[in-house]
Amino acid sequence: MSSSTFPKPPEGLCSRSSRRDVLRAAAHGFGGIALEAMLAKGAFAERTNPLAAKPQHFPGKAKNVIFLFMVGAPGQMDTFDPKPMLAKYEGQKLPESFGKITSQFTDGSTPILASPFTFKQYGQSGAWVSDLFPNLKDCVDDICFVRNFYTESVVHAPAMYQVHTGRILMGYPSMGSWVTYGLGSTSDNLPAYVVMPQPEGTPEGGTPCWGSAFLPAVYQGTLLRPGPTPILHLKAPAGTTLERQKATLDLLQKMNDLDTAPGDSEMAARIASYELAFKMQSHAPEAVDLTKETEATKKLYGLDRKETSEFGTRCLLARRMVERGVRFVQIYSGGGPVSVQWDAHKDLVPNHRKMAGMTDQPIAALLKDLKSRGLLDDTLVIWGSEFGRLPMSQSGNGRDHNMHGFTMWFAGGGVKGGQTIGATDDFGLYCAGTKYHMRDFHATILHALGLDQHKLWYLHNGRHEKLTDFGGNVIKEVFG
Amino acid sequence: MRHYFLTLMVAVPALLAAAELPNWVQPREMDNVKARKNFWSFQPVRKPPVPAVESKWVRNPLDAFVLEKLREKKEEPRTELDRRAMMRRAMLDITGLPPTPDQMRAFLADKSPDAYEKLVDRLMAGTAYGERWGQRWLDVVRYADTNGYELDAERTHAWRYRDYVIRSFNSNKRFDQFLKEQIAGDELWPADSDALVATGFHRTGPEHIVGGNQDLEMNRQEVLIEMNAGVGNVFLGLTVQCARCHNHKFDPFLQADYYRLAAIFAGTEGREVAIATPLEWASYSLERYEWEQKVKPILDAIKAIEKPYRAKLKAEKRAQLEPKFRDALAVPEAQRTPEQGELAKNAESQTGSTWDEVLATIPAAELAVRKGWREKLHELELIEPEPPPHAYAAVNSGKPHATHILKVGDHKMKQGQVEPGVPLVLALARGQQDLGDVTRDVAGRRAQLAEWLASADHPLTARVFVNRMWQFRMGEGVVKTPNDFGTLGERPTNPKLLDWMASEFVASGWDIKKLDRMILTSSTYRQSAVQRRRMDAEVVRDSILAVSGQLNAKMYGPPVKTPIEQEIYDIIFTEQEPDNLWPLPKDRREMYRRTVYVLNKRTVRLPMLANFDQPDTMSSCPQRPTSTHALQALTMMNSDFMAESARAFAARLGKKDPVGDAYSLALTREPRPEERKLAEEFFKKGGTVADFALALLNRNEFIYLP
Repeated sequence: MSSSTFPKPPEGLCSRSSRRDVLRAAAHGFGGIALEAMLAKGAFAERTNPLAAKPQHFPGKAKNVIFLFMVGAPGQMDTFDPKPMLAKYEGQKLPESFGKITSQFTDGSTPILASPFTFKQYGQSGAWVSDLFPNLKDCVDDICFVRNFYTESVVHAPAMYQVHTGRILMGYPSMGSWVTYGLGSTSDNLPAYVVMPQPEGTPEGGTPCWGSAFLPAVYQGTLLRPGPTPILHLKAPAGTTLERQKATLDLLQKMNDLDTAPGDSEMAARIASYELAFKMQSHAPEAVDLTKETEATKKLYGLDRKETSEFGTRCLLARRMVERGVRFVQIYSGGGPVSVQWDAHKDLVPNHRKMAGMTDQPIAALLKDLKSRGLLDDTLVIWGSEFGRLPMSQSGNGRDHNMHGFTMWFAGGGVKGGQTIGATDDFGLYCAGTKYHMRDFHATILHALGLDQHKLWYLHNGRHEKLTDFGGNVIKEVFG
Repeated sequence: MRHYFLTLMVAVPALLAAAELPNWVQPREMDNVKARKNFWSFQPVRKPPVPAVESKWVRNPLDAFVLEKLREKKEEPRTELDRRAMMRRAMLDITGLPPTPDQMRAFLADKSPDAYEKLVDRLMAGTAYGERWGQRWLDVVRYADTNGYELDAERTHAWRYRDYVIRSFNSNKRFDQFLKEQIAGDELWPADSDALVATGFHRTGPEHIVGGNQDLEMNRQEVLIEMNAGVGNVFLGLTVQCARCHNHKFDPFLQADYYRLAAIFAGTEGREVAIATPLEWASYSLERYEWEQKVKPILDAIKAIEKPYRAKLKAEKRAQLEPKFRDALAVPEAQRTPEQGELAKNAESQTGSTWDEVLATIPAAELAVRKGWREKLHELELIEPEPPPHAYAAVNSGKPHATHILKVGDHKMKQGQVEPGVPLVLALARGQQDLGDVTRDVAGRRAQLAEWLASADHPLTARVFVNRMWQFRMGEGVVKTPNDFGTLGERPTNPKLLDWMASEFVASGWDIKKLDRMILTSSTYRQSAVQRRRMDAEVVRDSILAVSGQLNAKMYGPPVKTPIEQEIYDIIFTEQEPDNLWPLPKDRREMYRRTVYVLNKRTVRLPMLANFDQPDTMSSCPQRPTSTHALQALTMMNSDFMAESARAFAARLGKKDPVGDAYSLALTREPRPEERKLAEEFFKKGGTVADFALALLNRNEFIYLP
């Protein structure tokens, strides 16, 4: 196992004295000196803390990512890509010139369904937004809509894998794993990559959507929950006081020091991992403690309303995470029972109203809050899903999946807001003209982060595996 | 394949002599492949003479090769581990469990000069040998107990392959036999149910099974991708998968080679083949019938509770239907126009309700009753009769489908048709006149592949496997990329050693234990470590269970579930009522089985194992990475499993000298004075024995091999 970006430091790279310093620091146990020294930038730090921050390949404005994933797929013609043609063809069949359309459940023969939502233009940019998003409409000048993405499966899980990992197959690292592998994290007391699923359940794709696959386990996404135990195994078992645990850890570290030979970076890394764990244990609860947030902030995110408080809490946590140096935050709207997904095979109106109702205000709040704190400049916010929906109906009042063309949007992190890129055809079925593969999506995200898609690789079973496989096109217009 | 093709070669020499090439290879490609067939790993294995190095250090030929290399580099062997450490390393390596104090005492008491060799023999004769080797093999073949993807269903009978692997290592099955059974057991030994189980090899990878409209050809391609990867990575040690979309960028593999290999599987499909006796069938039918009689009243009771609320919901939804749908419903079914029929169908769909909608309308009192029934149901589900034995097998389906080269691997972009064959470059390197062709008969394609792979003069099969053995025991292969013996892979650091092992291995009758023993008893293996190896995830868990006295050494059988955290339970994907997704075994002792028997579910990784780099089972894992990070430490300090184990460990310690007992059990040695002092200080400040036990189980010395 090796990589181009971060080869194992050759033996002898770190001087003996620096190793000894680390060991001496470790020998002092908790509350001891020079933990900072242990985490100092440099090759040794990289080996004692594999998540130590690493330099970008080239200057990129984005430092962090918040990925908002709408599970089950909102319809592009019902959100950000209005199709007046659908009203004209309402109830009729799709023109035969489109050929045979096969989706997961329908065969293309069902009648066209006009969007039941009303579109208007907003902001100086005049971006089109449907009435599902009465709050987000105020943020359009910070948003770059891209209307011509496509994936290669009409089935949720494979399409989700493609959005998250670049392939429709399971078994490839998620982009959050690639990004933390490439950049590490500036936070040493929180995980580098956190994931917040819908409380009702997980998306179809499940854990591989944030898994590290063949990358070392350290790069996997860590589940983060609101509440007293935000991270799995963060708290000492019931009945164990912090004092007692500290004493146990201290004993452990002292014993470990006894059998750690100078220069044994592997053992030193293990000692450091316990220090980091203890730091995480003391800092993570504060990081998720929302009591210090002002009433105005809580209100902004909708924490005072039943409909929005849950998703709002996760959005607010996302801001607190990037504030504290967490590199990659992934939030899911939807998961578990079909009634809590955007997957409107029927009842499009109540479904999208419900899901948008839960997320619109929190997402707008997140953008506004990041902006007012100066965090939006280096935080790339992405909104999207595994595909879009068909212009034709299913069950009379819903829509089946459409992998051929759908909208995702970017904001912050060097993105030029107030623009709409790409188009679908008059029915919102296929991309019109240029179309963007998930490779392009990923290449664009890596570019924003100052990572060269071709230099970020990992040797696995004889292949230089990359997020973008044999390479994607950076969508340059996104950055203006 | 030579013997298989002898007749063909004699029959059509004119054809082969002609310069005419088959349609799947261009002259330019042929020239290129020919020019590169001299790559080291394609060359025949030639047994080098054992170097005549003068040294007392040399215990067997392996050491002679190693020492020769060391001397070339002006280096000396490292010092030998002391006996205690040697015993610990050998135990953990061979059995995946730490030594018990008794085992250690017995070993140290044996003063005979071959005490260590006898120890290795004893350990290799035990059943844990196969469990440990089995796990390694399961890594390479990416074995899991579930399908993967969203539904990630359990493969009811897949575990028989896991047991087959463990038994094969324990019985020291010849490796060529082991290979042939896995590739073509059904064709070669049709009457042998073990050989049928072995073909589960072709199905160890993930498989996407989901409802709705299916692109059957795409699904089939995904199955073939897995079958090709299995043979390519596991036995050939080549990255054949790189040639799916185009000719291999670095190795002389043509895209046609990839599809010729896939064509060998064109008639192969996954199937559960019954291997049960008539008696097993009969008793199952009876048990099943009795069980269903117990389940039915419960299901009926639940249905009865829900019925009025479902009906009410339906009525409400009907009332809210748009007029056109309501009107269509009002027309009697027989009199509906096709359009009305469609509307009525839609109306049915629109007025249906999901489980959560229904439950939301049932009053609390009735919900409680329903919950009681559900719990009874789940109790019965735990004793659902095991289906009669089946082999989770790969067999011939009848007629093989035509195989085409697919442009960029896309099944919608078919190019020329190809017939079954093995990689051209290997056929040329071995002097095969047939360009690697394999029979076009319906059956026998895999049998030929198996015979070809297992032929004594195959340049890769033995090299690849002996390299895995060396890597398993030494931490690093002679070729450091065990799944890539191609251009991008590493070159052997000691080619003579590799070839000596490969030829000796074949000459010995592909005797795994013989070579394994030679490695384990070599001076090379007995050296002190430069970089200590960390226990594999499974060894961490098994060792903790063993030291804390909780381990249940029962072997074989269906995979067992162990307790999971609520956070992990919550990420099990389901759209259904999530109230019994992880039923724990009725017999609690089952939860303390060795990890190789713990359910390996592709989308639900157990944190303890995942954090210690247990492979994701999605692709062949030739060598695990070792990552060290804070989440590992959190799990090792704070998880329920560790708390329970620390308590159990503490309970095993005597009142008189708990510290001495703990060191003896966990580290199989006496505590040193400074360690006693640390422990005393810890207790003085109020530390408990369980906390002390927890600290010891976290210690580097415990987690790392000597």
